[in-house]
Amino acid sequence: MSSKSILIVGGGISGITTAVEAAEVGYNTVLVEKNAYLGGRVAQLNKYFPKLCPPYCGLEMNLRRIKPNPKITVYTMTEVESVSGTEGNYTATLKVSPRYVNEKCTACNACAEACPVETSNDFNFGMDKVKAIHLPHEMAYPMRYVLDKDVCTDSSCDACVKACKYDAIDLGMKPETVELTVGSIVYATGWNPYQAEKMDNLGYGTVKNVVTNMMMERLASPNGPTKGKILRPSDKKEAKKVVFVQCAGSRDENHLNYCSAICCMASLKQATYVRDQYPDSEVVVAYIDLRAPGKYEDFLNKVDADEKITLMKGKVAKIEEDPATGGVILTAEDVEGGGKIYEKADMAVLATGMVSSVTQNSVLQFEENGFIVSGTSAGIYSTGVAKRPSDVTTSIQDATGTALKSIQSLVRS
Amino acid sequence: MADKTVFTPDVKFVRELKEAGADTMKKCYQCATCSVICPLSPDDKPFPRKEMVMAQWGLKDELVKSADIWLCHNCNDCSKYCPRGAKPGDVLSILRKSVIQENAFPKFMGTIAGEPKNIWQALLIPVVLFLLVLGVTGHLNIPEGEIVFSKFFPVHYIDQIFVPLTGLAVVLFGFSITRFWKNLSEGSDLKPKAEFLPSFIETLKEIMTHSKFKKCDENKDRSTAHMLVFYGFIGLAITTAWAVFNLYVLNWESPYPANDPDVVALFGSETIPMILKVVFKLFANVSALALLVGGSLVIANRMKERGVDTVTSSFDWVFAGMVLFVGASGMLAQMFRVADFPPMIAYATYFLHLVAAFFIIIYMPYSKLAHFVYRTVAITYTKMQKRDVEV
Repeated sequence: MSSKSILIVGGGISGITTAVEAAEVGYNTVLVEKNAYLGGRVAQLNKYFPKLCPPYCGLEMNLRRIKPNPKITVYTMTEVESVSGTEGNYTATLKVSPRYVNEKCTACNACAEACPVETSNDFNFGMDKVKAIHLPHEMAYPMRYVLDKDVCTDSSCDACVKACKYDAIDLGMKPETVELTVGSIVYATGWNPYQAEKMDNLGYGTVKNVVTNMMMERLASPNGPTKGKILRPSDKKEAKKVVFVQCAGSRDENHLNYCSAICCMASLKQATYVRDQYPDSEVVVAYIDLRAPGKYEDFLNKVDADEKITLMKGKVAKIEEDPATGGVILTAEDVEGGGKIYEKADMAVLATGMVSSVTQNSVLQFEENGFIVSGTSAGIYSTGVAKRPSDVTTSIQDATGTALKSIQSLVRS
Repeated sequence: MADKTVFTPDVKFVRELKEAGADTMKKCYQCATCSVICPLSPDDKPFPRKEMVMAQWGLKDELVKSADIWLCHNCNDCSKYCPRGAKPGDVLSILRKSVIQENAFPKFMGTIAGEPKNIWQALLIPVVLFLLVLGVTGHLNIPEGEIVFSKFFPVHYIDQIFVPLTGLAVVLFGFSITRFWKNLSEGSDLKPKAEFLPSFIETLKEIMTHSKFKKCDENKDRSTAHMLVFYGFIGLAITTAWAVFNLYVLNWESPYPANDPDVVALFGSETIPMILKVVFKLFANVSALALLVGGSLVIANRMKERGVDTVTSSFDWVFAGMVLFVGASGMLAQMFRVADFPPMIAYATYFLHLVAAFFIIIYMPYSKLAHFVYRTVAITYTKMQKRDVEV
């Protein structure tokens, strides 16, 4: 007898969409997420382009669709260990890591207040600290704290356990293994930002006020490390002159030999963050080609109309620290202007591209750039950025289509 | 538009560049990383991004007027950071080859002596010429007894071949460089801001110390190799002049016996001629060694960087090979003579050495070696415009 369940690997916007769409037409879906929360990269964004609305809004609607639906089972802190079988009858082994916090948690924060250990906050790309026990982010799903036991300095410390009135913390929690039988599998494993320190000429990691575009999202987010104030990392000074460095490692055979499709629009959007926040600010976007396909061109024109935003053709190929101001000095050739320019700014934002999160897996086929084409056998699909670099809108459309394909696998077998 | 610019792409030129090895240039998408990464590129109208688009479009007329392609020392920092593998470093070196051939006077010499594929013809000319001279003068045999090269090919004949032909080469090169200078002046709307002489002296200083070459990041080793070859050549040029002085002024013939009556009479004893001989030989051998080691390093570095099978630099390969060949054949000829090898081998090696020397000296206006004049002229011109980078 073939299974009528769909396994979805990755709980970002694509995985959530596939799970919700398939479940709402009556199929059982299992949504597996490696982080302690759903939402993936979208949860880290400040605004969507081109409407400039907060992603939390759309994310909340989706989470609201998951919560009451009995057809959707969510596993967080879970990874797929192995997959075997054929279309209609796959066996998947899941490894569930201990959260050390159970469903009794009310997210009251008493544990975090009591916790003596601070650790780097990965959600904010290390730009601030969190307690070892913390809420992943304000709209985390499930709304439950998580303990990073690796950073607990004293193994006998139970300050959080004592502080919890609800008996929600269980330090004895063990990893679990879950075996599932599913009819089809969708990989919605998404992406990681390209490691910016690999571009030795762009100064990331050595020049203090060089950040990445994803860090910029966190800097501008009201729930980010600076509560939404765009401050440069070195001295928390307001970043009023910001240069966006396009194609930082993208379309570059030494790094990512492809266009990540979203960085131009993301930088144009982020230019508006700076301009909206500081009326006397100045922004330069240094590009090779500005890619604003289709209706996005309207957004490009709107941004270009701002006199304080300069769109300059010429790739920034060198970033150094300005010893006088603590800012950055960027060197580029202004191709249309006909000379090298040395742009001084408070902060440089590297528009780094997307790298597939999963690059090796024996049940998957990859294309030349490392994104997932599909499974090696029928009934295994990829969707969203796991398939190809794309924006949220495209990912959601793709994920909806993939929901249909994964259902067809169930019906076929 | 009032000031419309009309470009006339030269497709044949594009094809020639690609055949010569610049086949990567079409990959360039004009991001301008190269212009920023280049440590030698000036702030105003930097290179090599603009040269890349000119090459893609086949703007030969623009490129022959470019001083900038000669400011490039082929560091290849640009090629390393190029996101598209367009290899601006290699493309510029092919452009320099094209300009050398474009300015070649007479044109057919550029084709014979400059095109790598015609190397056998180019070598055949001195071979036939030398055999002819030896045949006509009755020297087409292997002399008996102790190996003395002038017994086989008398120095007077060598001089009678080389001196007028070198003079001719210099005159012809003068025509090329005059045309090149005119092109440079037409190519830039910047009026010279400095005098010729100070700029020229500044340029020579730069060349002597290789200070610009040393600014390259990617090829620190190559500047050492180049320096050895450079000073090797200068040393050997001095050696040649010295030998001419010995022969025609002191009347002292190779292999410079210390007891030569003329010389002993001149200096009063055998001691001074002995010292002079040792110093002369030492100087010559050190120069030859510098050339040999430098030439080997040049080739080793090139193999390290891009592999031998590349067609990118066949123009460069021919010259690098010839440098090594002239050095090695000269050294070996000397060794064979001193070690009393079978005369056949020693004289044949000497003959080959003369052929290589002919190639290097007489073909100078058309081979890679021409770069030393073109580059000196272009850097001087750039310094006069005050747009050269500070060293």
